[in-house]
Parts: sequence; C-alpha cells; structure tokens
Amino acid sequence: MEARIILQIQILWNPNRQSFRRPCLHLPRFFIRASSSTSQKPRSYKGPKPSTNLVADFISRNDDLARSLPIYVGGASLLAVLFNRTVSGIAPVADASSSQSRADLLALGLAVTNLLTGLVWLSIRPKSITPVNPEGVDCKVVDSDLPTSIVSELLWGWESLKLATCCKSLVIVYNGICLIQIGMVAESPQDKKRVVVNTDKLMQGSVYRGVMKSKAQSYLANLSLYPGRSELPFLPANTQAVILQPLGDKGIAVIGGNTIRGFTSSDQAWISSIGEKLDATLGRYFVDSAEVSREKD
Amino acid sequence: MSIRICNLPFNSSFAPQPRARVSSRSTRVFARTENDTQQQQLNLSVLRFTFGIPGLDESYLPRWLGYGFGSLLLLNHFSASAPINEPQLRSEALGISLAAFSIALPYIGKFLKGSVVEQRTLPEEGEQVFVISSNIGDSLKEDLAWATYVLLRNTSTIAVLISIQGELCVRGYWNCPDQMSKAQLHDWFKKKVDEIGLADVKETLYFPQYEGSSASWDILPDGTRSLFVQPLIQDIYEPQKMDGFLLVASTAGYAYSDKDRAWIGAMAEKFRG
Repeated sequence: MEARIILQIQILWNPNRQSFRRPCLHLPRFFIRASSSTSQKPRSYKGPKPSTNLVADFISRNDDLARSLPIYVGGASLLAVLFNRTVSGIAPVADASSSQSRADLLALGLAVTNLLTGLVWLSIRPKSITPVNPEGVDCKVVDSDLPTSIVSELLWGWESLKLATCCKSLVIVYNGICLIQIGMVAESPQDKKRVVVNTDKLMQGSVYRGVMKSKAQSYLANLSLYPGRSELPFLPANTQAVILQPLGDKGIAVIGGNTIRGFTSSDQAWISSIGEKLDATLGRYFVDSAEVSREKD
Repeated sequence: MSIRICNLPFNSSFAPQPRARVSSRSTRVFARTENDTQQQQLNLSVLRFTFGIPGLDESYLPRWLGYGFGSLLLLNHFSASAPINEPQLRSEALGISLAAFSIALPYIGKFLKGSVVEQRTLPEEGEQVFVISSNIGDSLKEDLAWATYVLLRNTSTIAVLISIQGELCVRGYWNCPDQMSKAQLHDWFKKKVDEIGLADVKETLYFPQYEGSSASWDILPDGTRSLFVQPLIQDIYEPQKMDGFLLVASTAGYAYSDKDRAWIGAMAEKFRG
C-alpha cells in the first residue's frame, strides 16, 4: 500500500459579499471600446421589489408571544363580558332570552375559540434544542492527488453543508482513500493534533458495512445513544448527530452535526442528492485514472 | 448535445404532516420519499383538536367560527328592538372585534414555527420543458441538468431557470409557446429574461405571495405564488458584477423557508466563477 502524503491545502472560500472593493481603473478618454450587441450592459431590473411583511417578521421573531396571544385575548374578553354584565346591572344569566344575552353568548363563544386555539398553538411548539460546540481542532485536509475540479467540488459540498445545515465536520472516504477531512476533528490525546482517519478500520467496521449493505442514507439523530460510535473516532467526542451517506458502493460521506436531530428531512434529501452527484463525479474520475494507470503498465 | 424535452415524474415532496385538502382547482400531488422511516421527529400532536373528518382542515376553524358568529352578532344587532342600550353595544363591539381577530388567526398561525407548509400543485395544462443552451461545455451542461433536477425534486419548485453569462437552462412548467424548436425556445426565453432585466439583480428577491405582474413576467406558469431569485456572483472582489441568476417559482405560497433559501444559495454557489 503506497503511503500517501496528504497535503494541507488552504483554499480561500469566502463568499463575503459585503465590501471587497478594489479601486476602479479610470480608462483614458481616447480608449475606444468596441461593443457588439451581445456584450451590452444588461438592462436594469424593472420588476417588482419585494415588500416587507411586518406581521410575518414580528411573528417569526416573537414566536412565544404570538403563540400565547390568543389565550390572553380570549381570557381578557371573557372577563370583559362578565364585567360588562355586572357593571350594567344585568344579572349574569346565560340564556338567549334578550338580545343582550345573545350578544354576550356569541362573544363568549368567540373568546372560548380563541382560548382553545391558543392552547393548540402552545402544544405544537417545536422543542428548541441548543447546539453543542464540538470539541476538537479545526482542520482542512484534502488528498493531494486529486485534480482541482474535484477538490473544488468537494469544497463546494462542504461549504453548502456548513451554510445550510448544522454540519460541523465532514469526512469523505472513497475507494479506500480518505479524500477530505474538514471541519472540527477530534484531537488525539497523544500529540494534540488531529486524529487521522484510518480507512481500513473504518471500512471493516459494522457502521460502514451496514450502510453499504442497505445502500441508503443512515441518520443517527442522537449519536450518544449509538453503540457504533467507537468506529468513528475522528469525529469530535461530543458530536450530536451524524448522517452517513453512501456514495454509490465505493465510498461514504460522514457528516457530523452539533445539534441532536439537527438535520431536517429536507436536509437529508439534499444530502442524498449531493451524495449522488459526488459519486458520479468521483466514480468517473477514479475509473479514468484506473484506465490511465492500466495503459501505463 | 441536442436539447431535449423530457417528462420528469414529480416525486418526493416533503411534508412532515401531509394533509389532504379539497381543492376546486387542481389535484395536489403527494409522494413520500424512500427516507420516510428516517424522518426527523417534530414534537407535535400532544393536544390536537380534530373532527376526524378526512379532508377537513381544522386550523381554519377559528376563521369559520369568526365569520359565523360575527354574522350572527350583526343579525342580532339589526333585529333587536330599538333603542339598543349601551351595555349591549359594548358587548357587540367586543364580539365583533373578537370575530375579526379569530378570522385573522389562521393567517397568524402560518408564520409560527412548525406550521404546515402548503403543498405545491402542478398546473393542469402545459407540458414540462427542458431547454439548455448549446453554447456551453459538457460538464457545465451536466451540472446544470443535475442542479435543475435537484431543485425541482427537493423543494416545492415547479419551474426553474438558471442563467450563466447569458446562457440559459430552463426546466419545469413554463408559459411558453409550443411548436417552437428548442433553439428558438432558448432565444425566446433569453429575450423575455432580458426584457425583465433579471441579469441586473444585485441581491436575492423573495416574493412569497406573488400576485402576477407586468406583461414580461407572463413566462411564469399560471398559479405561481412564490418566486425566488438568487443572483450568481462572479467574483468576490467585485460584488457588483453579476454572473447570472437562478430563478425558482412555486405554486405554493410561502414555499421557500430560510432553510430552502440557504440550500438554493448553496446551489447557486456551484456556478460561481
């Protein structure tokens, strides 16, 4: 088995759009710009501009308050109806004889509707779980033999996961090689450096074999409950959730997150789509390189 | 590479709690993914009021009660023998404002976390189109085809358009003239897009309640309710120069949550530079 030297590549990937302005060049006046019809400046955008929805913004920010609002409204109006009755000297009798009683009854009915709706909203509040910061070292290690296009695709995958999900660690193993180990990585106690992925051990373990056999994504929503945790020593010890995505039948992507049940079903679907794409790209590259090396021999 | 029109089966829409709703316009399409068993657990249904009638959406119950009781209040008011005394006026005012609040409750409930997202409906007439420019390299064509397919599959999108330096890839249901060759269709879309000036958009645009707009936007399919435009930045050192854009449209209102938009932004990053 050849010893592979894994280089640390620091690729700047900073989609920071705020202010990266360079001083613009002032072209001298006599410069003649040849413009053809295909390269004219795009027409300025003349469509509608999005309007802000104050209600939606308020409610999304004050979720708890909005959930209990109907209860307060319902309770307050209940008391108001009774108060109105006592103040105006009419006996609080709930019958439909006078029009006053009918109006009061209808108002009471609406107040009760509001109260019940508020209770239903409170009961369906999703549990908020706090993320746990992974303990380890930050690392960015990519296999040195890969061409730039593959490296940029892998890094794109990492950036998308980091941006859109609670992912904090990513390891991709394909064809027995660890292609990329990026994000938070467990720190080895001996030399205080990152834990290297032992691909042989990983591929012989039950976790890898189970995923390869089922050919389906495996979502371990709460990693601490999972006995196969010991087969993933390169992930930080307090990684909360893990998704194991098979890349075809030759590789696996291990995605670690910092929140229990932090990956939604939408995330799972996106991750499996990205897994298929990576498998197609990597598979083609490895087939090509295998053919090239066979031709050389 | 030739441009071909293909029919994609629309499977896998994501509904943590799919409900069947009766709709007079068109049928709704549901299908579950193969990852059902691994769906994330949303902590729901501790207390859930339901009549048990399939197809009835109880979250709109406050609205119906608001309309019903409000009209009864008005009936009571106008059928009462004059003069109406003050306490009655007070409780009627209270009742009417409660009715108005109840009518607004389902709308407020839509913005709470954990609320059910509306499902997309497919347009009844019209076919799906798949147009891709022939002026671009094969690997980019493949990337575009994959990206548009994934966007259609993983979000509630029914129409997607990606433009990179003027070259387009269009997929889904669009309001375009039929009987056009693929190259002509590409040029037609390009002309329409230039009219709108979408290449000049500098930041993301999100219209969760799109009502229809000026004439050049009529390429969007009927019934479009959500629209999201994500510009592709060419160079991080020149944030004002745009390389193209990505447009997705859906027939469901409020179709693109923060997470959906984050993922669409990630897809747009793939075509940067």
